[in-house]
Amino acid sequence: MSPLALLRRHWVWLAILFVMLAMPFAFYDWSRGRHSGFALTLMSEMALMAVFALSYNMLMGQAGLLSFGHAILFGIGAYFTAHTLNWIKASDILWIPTELIPLAGGVGGVVCGIIAGYVATQQRATAFAMITLGLGELMTAAALMFITFFGGEGGITTDRVIGSSIFGVAYTSAWQVYCLLVVWSLIAAILMHLQTQTPLGRIANATRDNYERTQFVGYDPRVVRYWQFILSGFFAGIAGGLYTLVYEIVTFDTLAAVKSANGLLAAYIGGAGGFFGPVLGAVVVVGLQSGISLYTSAWLLYLGILFIVMVLYAPGGLIGVIGQHAPIARMGRMRELLMPYARALPPAVITTAGFVTLIELATHRTIGAAQGKKLALLGIPMDSADMMPWVVAVGLAVAGTLWLRVEARRFRLRWNALIEDAKALGIVS
Amino acid sequence: MSDQGKAGAAIQLTNVRKSFGRTEIIRDVNLTIPRGQRHAIIGPNGAGKTTLFNLISGRFPLTSGSITVNGRDIAGLAPQQINHLGLSRSFQITSIFPRMSVFENIRCGLLWSRDYRYSFWRLLGSQRALNEAADQLLERLNLHNRRNRPAGLLSYAEQRALEIGITIAGGADVILLDEPTAGMSHSETDYAQQLIRSISDGKTLLMVEHDMGVVFGLADIITVLVYGEVIASDTPANIRANRAVQAAYLGEEAA
Amino acid sequence: MEVFVVSLLNGLVYGMLLFMLASGLTLILSMMGVLNFAHASAYMLGAYFAYTVSLYVGFWPALIIAPLLCGLIGAGLEMYGLRQVHRHGHIPELLFTFGVALIIEKVVQMTWGLIPVPYRIPSGLDFPLFTIYGTQFPAYRAFMLLISALMFVAIWLGLTRTRIGLIIQAALTHPDMVGALGHNVPRVFTMVFAAGTALAGLAGVIGGNYRVTEPGMAFSMGPIVFVVVVFGGLGSLTGCFIASIMMGLIQTFAVVLDYSFADLLEVFGVIVTKATPGAEFLLVSLPRIGALLPFILLVLILVLRPRGLMGTRDT
Repeated sequence: MSPLALLRRHWVWLAILFVMLAMPFAFYDWSRGRHSGFALTLMSEMALMAVFALSYNMLMGQAGLLSFGHAILFGIGAYFTAHTLNWIKASDILWIPTELIPLAGGVGGVVCGIIAGYVATQQRATAFAMITLGLGELMTAAALMFITFFGGEGGITTDRVIGSSIFGVAYTSAWQVYCLLVVWSLIAAILMHLQTQTPLGRIANATRDNYERTQFVGYDPRVVRYWQFILSGFFAGIAGGLYTLVYEIVTFDTLAAVKSANGLLAAYIGGAGGFFGPVLGAVVVVGLQSGISLYTSAWLLYLGILFIVMVLYAPGGLIGVIGQHAPIARMGRMRELLMPYARALPPAVITTAGFVTLIELATHRTIGAAQGKKLALLGIPMDSADMMPWVVAVGLAVAGTLWLRVEARRFRLRWNALIEDAKALGIVS
Repeated sequence: MSDQGKAGAAIQLTNVRKSFGRTEIIRDVNLTIPRGQRHAIIGPNGAGKTTLFNLISGRFPLTSGSITVNGRDIAGLAPQQINHLGLSRSFQITSIFPRMSVFENIRCGLLWSRDYRYSFWRLLGSQRALNEAADQLLERLNLHNRRNRPAGLLSYAEQRALEIGITIAGGADVILLDEPTAGMSHSETDYAQQLIRSISDGKTLLMVEHDMGVVFGLADIITVLVYGEVIASDTPANIRANRAVQAAYLGEEAA
Repeated sequence: MEVFVVSLLNGLVYGMLLFMLASGLTLILSMMGVLNFAHASAYMLGAYFAYTVSLYVGFWPALIIAPLLCGLIGAGLEMYGLRQVHRHGHIPELLFTFGVALIIEKVVQMTWGLIPVPYRIPSGLDFPLFTIYGTQFPAYRAFMLLISALMFVAIWLGLTRTRIGLIIQAALTHPDMVGALGHNVPRVFTMVFAAGTALAGLAGVIGGNYRVTEPGMAFSMGPIVFVVVVFGGLGSLTGCFIASIMMGLIQTFAVVLDYSFADLLEVFGVIVTKATPGAEFLLVSLPRIGALLPFILLVLILVLRPRGLMGTRDT
């Protein structure tokens, strides 16, 4: 295939590479000639979460396995990498190029995956989920007990500057580490994408679709899932290794249920069906976490609500919602949705404003006030002890909801009509 | 049947019994299906036909008795292990991979028989022989124009054809088909009958069917199962004339 | 000896509390196949509702009102949430209850704050019932035993003596068949879900002031209840009962018995010092492993005997 054709086929990857390298410059401090620490941290978090969520989706979206303990693969990878770095520092003979250090995380993830996967894949569906939950809790509790490997509550600290770069980079600046992170994230993502097109990847899909049928085409579904688990552990471990390089400290929260839950949320909200969903989900989750948390302490609630809304109305995630537009786009009639969307926007905004105000008022009353914070939404100062803001908020929420229902119904009618037309033309989603 | 004949049998059921709790579904069934035979099992609903299939394919364990496939005892074997002995089955309720494309469905059926095993280092896109074989099978099934559709979106008859396709893709020489034409229209059934005849050429076919046209058109031997017992096992002509079978299932011929 | 008896009593109390929680979850999981992550959240809500209600009208009305509120919430969740997701399969159901649990925890934090609330034992029950081996046994614990025992009897009678109870029993092990027989299975589901949630709420009412009432209590209690449910097995309330008592006793005794593997080895004459290889494992005392025990059990049970103690179906 000609180079140009290759470029066009894989434009998504190039676009991602470009965005990841270019975005920090949007926050670059030109006067002082250095990158914004916040921007780099935020994008690093997104990249780490993206790799973690993609590895999680190898189980959830690809193999139909819901895991509540995926973080242990990430955390063990991170701890393993930290110890590796410390060994290298302490030893005179051990030499590994810094660029290959994340592989140590991968090894840790594989080891953990071999053990944990053997136990977990004995069962299916709900039982599998519960085993992973139990393993996750076990590991977190063990982390506080066994100090040698886990370092107790303080964790394990390490130093990424071991002077062994094969490109002669010192990795002392945040930007250098970020670039390494970008390259590795892309490599991991590309490998995971390729894996979906291998026999194992396809058969893993088959076990998701129809466990029994997989047996009757000659495969042992448990072995398939075990392999998938181990591979997913490899990539989660790489994400862990990258984490260690970035933060230079590993604590038990890299193993915790909260981390697993974040991966789950990212993969699901983004969309578990396709491949790139978890990447989108990671951006959303980290964005909400880091961005919104600056303004409100109720960000987890917003995340939870978004999650529930997706579970109820858009099980395909954000990618799924976007993908549903494909038949209409193929017909070339997207602009017929413009009006319906525009009409639904005002009530949606009002409803959101009402609920957000309510939540913020409530949060402020119990938590914020005690912390001495003042509440101001969109620049309007509010006192949560007053009646007025509450009344307004409730009014907005109720009125907005009623109006939204009307517009939603109208939207649905237009949408269904368009989809029917698409079907009649033979365009299938 | 001579011992040598039995040893060469594709499927051999000896004193097979199956109970669920206290309910005995299969009572002492003895059956020998030689290689290359087209064999149909008929009988009223609830007779235990699908249960028999489930026993042969390893979905349920036997209560007592023994079953051999291509000479090997299948006791304790998992379904995929029985599949490796050369047996493949289709299901009464369509059992395909709904979220994968039709092409992918067939390709999954081919993977094991072509030694791909659990490989995660080979890219399927570049496996020419495999992909060509899958496309050829799609042509045979007349599903080639549905190649890239998600299998769950196919019509019922197309899904049944795909079901048969996945069943035979791996090259099994003992094929079990559980009510392959269930729910099909007349023309769809005719097509399915032709398809079944062509795919079972030179192979052993064991089929559960209710459509008597298909049964009498395809089968070399018909076994009649009633309340878990074999009441007759003979050529189609003899079965048609058999009084007990008429009483239990077929009914008298209109005068 | 005194440690043994006191621990036994405390273990029983804790076990019965677990049973109140686990019984509802067993019913829901057995009948509907839904692993209700929000079950422990109902426990938390029960405690918080009771706290608020008892501030205004006292503890005794709270005993009735709080569980009722929880049951209503449960019914609402089932009718407007679960039923919608049910057709997408078990995983979305799990995810839905998981999301609900997240939201409830946040809402509780928003409404009542981050620190534990002073939900106290009512003064009417705050006296020592008897003294055993020099330790006082509070009357409130006897009250807890009484309530949970009454609950057990009520459930048992309800399931075996009423018509709806028989339907529920049947649906526990053969839900599809019950539907095929013409019973209004959705309504039965809503009822069971609401009842289970109310039961969890009641557990919260009496457990919240026994232990601490704080926003993290759902996520700390939740996994242990799962372990009990799995351990007892699906479709069997008796198994659930035995498992609850066992778990209560195990956790209580584990805290009290301050031994480690090293102590066991000492009996055989092997002395473990800090220099011994693996010393870290051998020196860990039982109370510290106490947190791990339920999960080790969970994993072992699911791998070795997925039916649990007396389950009639696989999970």
